Amino acid sequence: MAGVEVRFSGLSKRFGRRAVLRNVSGTARPGEVLVVTGPNGSGKSTLLNILGGLLRPSQGEVAYLADGRTVPKEEWHRHLGVCAPDLSVYEELSAVENLRFFTQVRGLRLHDRELAAVLEQLGLKGSDFFRPVKQFSSGMLQRVKLAQALVHRPEVLLLDEPSSNLDEAGHNLLKELVMAWRAQATVVVATNDPREVAWGDQVLELAH
Amino acid sequence: MNLLIESFTILRKELTSELRSRVAVSSVGLFALTTLVAVAYQIGPYRIHEQDRPHLHAALLWIIVFFAASSGLPRVFVKEEDAHTAKSLRLAARPGAVFAGKFLFNLVLLLGLEAFLVPLFAVFMGFSVANLPALVLVLVAGALGLASSATMVAAIISRATGSATLFVVLSVPLVLPMLVFLIQGTRTAATVPELSALLPSLRAVVSLTGVTLVSSAFLFPVVWHD
Amino acid sequence: MTKTKKASLALLFLWFCVVIWAAFFYAPKAAGFKGESSRIVFFHVPQAWVAVLAFCVNLVASLRYLRHRNLLDDARAAAAARLGLLFAVLATVSGSLFAKVMWGSFWNWDPREVSIAILLLIYAAYFALRQAVSDPERRGSLAAAYAILAFVTMPFLVFVVPRIYWSLHPDTIISAQGSVKVQMHPRMFQVLVGSLLGFTGLFWWLYSLEVRLSRLRLRREEGGE
Repeated sequence: MAGVEVRFSGLSKRFGRRAVLRNVSGTARPGEVLVVTGPNGSGKSTLLNILGGLLRPSQGEVAYLADGRTVPKEEWHRHLGVCAPDLSVYEELSAVENLRFFTQVRGLRLHDRELAAVLEQLGLKGSDFFRPVKQFSSGMLQRVKLAQALVHRPEVLLLDEPSSNLDEAGHNLLKELVMAWRAQATVVVATNDPREVAWGDQVLELAH
Repeated sequence: MNLLIESFTILRKELTSELRSRVAVSSVGLFALTTLVAVAYQIGPYRIHEQDRPHLHAALLWIIVFFAASSGLPRVFVKEEDAHTAKSLRLAARPGAVFAGKFLFNLVLLLGLEAFLVPLFAVFMGFSVANLPALVLVLVAGALGLASSATMVAAIISRATGSATLFVVLSVPLVLPMLVFLIQGTRTAATVPELSALLPSLRAVVSLTGVTLVSSAFLFPVVWHD
Repeated sequence: MTKTKKASLALLFLWFCVVIWAAFFYAPKAAGFKGESSRIVFFHVPQAWVAVLAFCVNLVASLRYLRHRNLLDDARAAAAARLGLLFAVLATVSGSLFAKVMWGSFWNWDPREVSIAILLLIYAAYFALRQAVSDPERRGSLAAAYAILAFVTMPFLVFVVPRIYWSLHPDTIISAQGSVKVQMHPRMFQVLVGSLLGFTGLFWWLYSLEVRLSRLRLRREEGGE
């Protein structure tokens, strides 16, 4: 199938003298979920940041392959959706305004109806669409962040602890979403939750 | 073309956010107002000898503009880091569009500051102008120049500690030559009715702005992505 | 230390002894200057030259860092900036001593004085920035970006401002007759060139010491993480 394969090899990251990642390699393929797991401080978030191009590895390489061709790094952002604890949306804007901004800035024009549909899919109610995100609970905020990651239909989806702040219902919704999204994208999930580890077609365990 | 649309998308986002929070506008405006009142109260229109006025007025005006600006301009990038939206923006937008959008926002902020400050300055300080169009030209050139270097320095400090002190420390050496020409231009506009007298300082400001913008275009992606 | 290194160090030492002697006894004093004050030129000009040279070395190292992302290049840039700051301070001090003797005050806001003051500010800002970043790789790229930005605005100070404003400063060529643009006395010229070479050698020696130190530090960090 078409899609983007994410290949990484020999990744290491040092912050000063502290080594966070040591020689990590793997491949995330379209139609699969790659779960990255490991104790706190084992470098899960660091790995996802490197895979998303947000952090430069000290050693090693990451390549995005589409139809056998490597995608230049400047174009990764077109293929990529990320949800992570340190990745937020704009608090002064409403949920719809946020999604509108994040799609327009990627050069996409979506109708407000389409944006609302994504929010509905994530279990947000119509009355919340036009309120500033500032007034949201942390669970609702997490849903907006997930919407931000999904709205442009990325081919690579990086989810770092996606169920943080979500209740049981939210967790089930997330599971459905990931399973549905797997069919059309390469999904990487970093988590410690055993229920989420079970989603993985591949599991990459990072040692401390 | 797309880059232009994306830049304006970012500008619109900045304006909407600013309209709702008013943090930058109020800090810049209040800083300008308090400084102006303090200066006008202590010096006023008559404490300065007639022949020294254009000199001192021009210098005081630009000092107020620069420091008022430095209380608000770095926010364009610092707030993104503080609110953890920088990474989201980094993933979504091209660096060129980010720089252009933020630059335009700072430009709007500076032009607004000048439109608010200069008339008040003229009233409180007895600042008279021989050639008003020339003064407007200097003010616009100054806003362009200060916005270009402030946006770049803001990007740098937001990736460091993000402190306002660091912003001033890094800006002063870059902006000082520009301020020298702007003060000179303002003095010329205040005293000489001919527009041609303005050319040397205007040319210097414009070329300095051009150099800053061109090098920012190369350096911004480095600063933004590391 | 290898033999050639020892020999070149000894040569540098002897060279400086000769330059200092020649500055006071071989070169004639320039006319139009108060007393023996013109002799400071043999030290002041090379110091200013090294400050500018260090700025250029810093630029090259910064560009190389952004290209290859080798932390040693960042260390090179920082070493050049440290030495540049030192020599800029020396040039400022020797310059203002001369200014006091010749023009009666230590500081006159002469365009060239302004440009060295700004060079000092740039160096200070550069180190303030380095201190404010903890991640070494990010520190390298931010510092490099700032250095390059500062470098491109510098020419305006060095070349444009002095041409718009009237300057007290002796023109680049100082004449023995006291009028500008006439050839410098050959002996003065010889000593000045000798001193320029000596100061450049001194800079390279200090610079390579700093770089060696950084290389060892980086190696230890990589090995002992």
